[in-house]
Order: sequence, then structure tokens, then C-alpha cells
Amino acid sequence: MNHAAFLLPAWLFVIGLYGIITSRHFVHLIGCLTVVQSSTYVLLLSVGYRTGAGAPIFADHPVGSPAVDPVVQALVLTDIVVGATVTALLLALALQVHKRKGTLDPQRLRPLRP
Amino acid sequence: MGASGIRTLSRSLCDILNAVGTSERHGTNIVTLVNFDYRGFDTLGEEYILFAAVIGAVLLMRTHRGEKTSARPGKVSEQPVPLRTDAVALGSRPALGLTLIFGMYVVLHAQLTPGGGFQGGAIIGSATLLLYLGFGYRTWRQVMPTAVLDPVEAFGAGAFVVAGLAAMAAGAPFLTNLLPLGKTGSVISAGEIPLINIAVAIAVSTGFAVLFVEYLEETREPDAGDEE
Amino acid sequence: MTPLQIGLYLLTALSGAAVVLTREPRRQAFMMGLNGLVLALLFLTLQAPDVAYSELAVNMVALPFLFLVTLAAARINQHRRQEDK
Repeated sequence: MNHAAFLLPAWLFVIGLYGIITSRHFVHLIGCLTVVQSSTYVLLLSVGYRTGAGAPIFADHPVGSPAVDPVVQALVLTDIVVGATVTALLLALALQVHKRKGTLDPQRLRPLRP
Repeated sequence: MGASGIRTLSRSLCDILNAVGTSERHGTNIVTLVNFDYRGFDTLGEEYILFAAVIGAVLLMRTHRGEKTSARPGKVSEQPVPLRTDAVALGSRPALGLTLIFGMYVVLHAQLTPGGGFQGGAIIGSATLLLYLGFGYRTWRQVMPTAVLDPVEAFGAGAFVVAGLAAMAAGAPFLTNLLPLGKTGSVISAGEIPLINIAVAIAVSTGFAVLFVEYLEETREPDAGDEE
Repeated sequence: MTPLQIGLYLLTALSGAAVVLTREPRRQAFMMGLNGLVLALLFLTLQAPDVAYSELAVNMVALPFLFLVTLAAARINQHRRQEDK
């Protein structure tokens, strides 16, 4: 794999982090977090990719033909589904904050005050 | 070992798995074989992260709202809530059946073609939204009562552990694939991988369905005297 | 890398940035759906059809829906608060 391909996960990570830092709305912040998550997916799949190799599924091409790394794919595929439920947990937290404080703006929340 | 050494090691591991997976476990989708057999213990942990996240979200929602349900939509300013059009209802009903069948296909052919319990579960769970779109909120809640969904989800998560413990009861290490492997290319092959897949699909699809139900319940108007 | 992959890498960089830079949360939910589609196509060209399935079902359907419902619930809460006052 070309080393230039690793620039994309780095870019997604940085832009997502920038969004998290500058966000003024909790729901938008969680949306930026999904971009950071997607950077890890792209990184892992880029590590496992090999030029000219096929998918690690030997239903239609014979065993022994070149194929990409199946282990990273197994990691990423569970991670996507699990990450979605964790995002749902974060959204539920944001909703609770809104119920108690009436705002979704992190700047307007005063920590450590009843 | 330097970076190049690690890279060589992971390359050879990937080559070994791709070369021997099909003959050792009688399945053609190496990703599923890794997920549910070679690294099944990892997947067990992943499934329990999912389970814990769903429980956490549900608990957060229910502490404020209580367990009661209401069918009246909530109000935003004085705008009337737009009703769903006939075209949406008509399109959603056939789409619901097709999506459910496709989801089950993806689950059952996990060891043969791209797919598996996690993807199929996500597809089936999302298909229940079409039930809401096609038949309305009340029918949707009647077909999927939370009193049924919660135990079914726990059953799916528990069945994975039972499959692991069954191997231990037979005297082998946790999650050893002891069932007959069958003929490569058949739907019933690769030992207990299809069974674990179905368990994971049940846990994931009901987990998604529970999340959808709880979130939409949040947009409903509580009935009089229903608070807390 | 094939030209298709290079194109999709650039498109993913753009759509990821678009999700972050769409500051209005409701529009962002739809951008997330689009980003999920682009990522799924990228995963297909990286020879990962299993992952592409996951990405499609989760990031195009389930997550945008949850985001939209959260925003709707927040608006309804706001309305209830104002009525109570």
C-alpha cells in the first residue's frame, strides 16, 4: 500500500478533532466523533490492503489466490456496529443534559454547579 | 522486532489464515471464520460492549420517563405535525418484507458470502423502522413490545456464552468448534459458526430495535398522570 | 492504487470535512448519511465487502435516524419547558 494512503486517516482524525473542539452543539459534537471513528476504519483497512489482491472470500475464486488481510476486516466490521450503539449512548446522555439544563451548548453549561 | 518485522509477521498470519481457513473450518468467508471462530473470544467481548451500551442508553431514557408508553405525538410550537402520505406507507410495506428477507439471507450465508450476524442484525433492526413508516406508531409498538424485546436481546447475548460453555462441558477450551463441519459451500456448514451468528444477529437486531423504540418514545407526549 | 481508489480517497476526505463543517445539526445528520455511502464505496474498493455492508446499514440508516430523533426530542422538551413557565 502506498504511504500516501495513510494521509486520509490522519486528515479525518484531525478534522474530526477540530470539529469536537470548536463545536457549540452537543449533537454536532457527537457527529464529529463519528468522523474520528471512521478514521480508524480507513486506517485499519488501508494497513490490510494489498495491491492486486481480492477479497478474503473464496466463494467464487479458488483458495490460494491472493487476498487482503481478513483479521483487520473482522476488527472493523464489529467495531462499526458496536460504535453505533456507543454513539446512541452518547446521544442519550446529551438528551439527559438537555432535560436537566435546557441547553445543548457546551459553553452555557457551568460545571460543578447545581 | 522493528516495524518491518511486525509487518512481515502480520502478512504471514494473513496468508496462513487465507490458505488454511477454508479447509480447516469448511467456510469460504474468512472474515466470518476469524470473527466467530479463530478470534471468537474477541467478538464475545465486542458483543457485550454493544449489550452494555444499549442497556445504558435505555436506562438513561427510562429514568426520566418511567416505563409507561403513550401514542400521542409531541408538539413543537403550534405547527401541526405533518401526517405521512399514502405513497410512503405503500412504498414501505413491500420494502419491509424485502429488507427482512435480505437481512436473514445475510445472516444465514455468513460463512459463505459477505455478511454475518453483525451486518444482518443491523439490517434487520433497521428494517423495523419500515414497520413504523408503513403501519404507523401504534401498530409498530404493538408488534414489538419492549416487554418481549428486552428478554430476547438478553437471550441472544447469552446464547453466545452458552455456546462457549458447551464446548467447556465437553472437555475442550472455551468456544471450541466441536460440531460436525459439514460440506463446504452448504448453508449448514462450518460447525457452530451459523448458530453463533444467529445468536449475534438476534442480539444486534433487537438491540437496534430497542434503541429505536426508546428514542421515538422520547418524542411522544406523556398521557395525563403518566409522569415518573 | 487504482484511479478509482484515489478518487474515493479524495471524496472521503471531502465528505468527512463536510460532516464537520456542517454546523447545523439537522443538516449534519444528512451529511453523515452521505459520508457513510462514500465510506462504504471506499471499503468496497479496498476489497472489504463485509465492512461495506456494516457501514451502509449503520451509518446510512440507523445513525442519521437516531440523530434526527434526538434533535426532535430536544425541540419537544424545549416546547414543554416554555409551556410550563
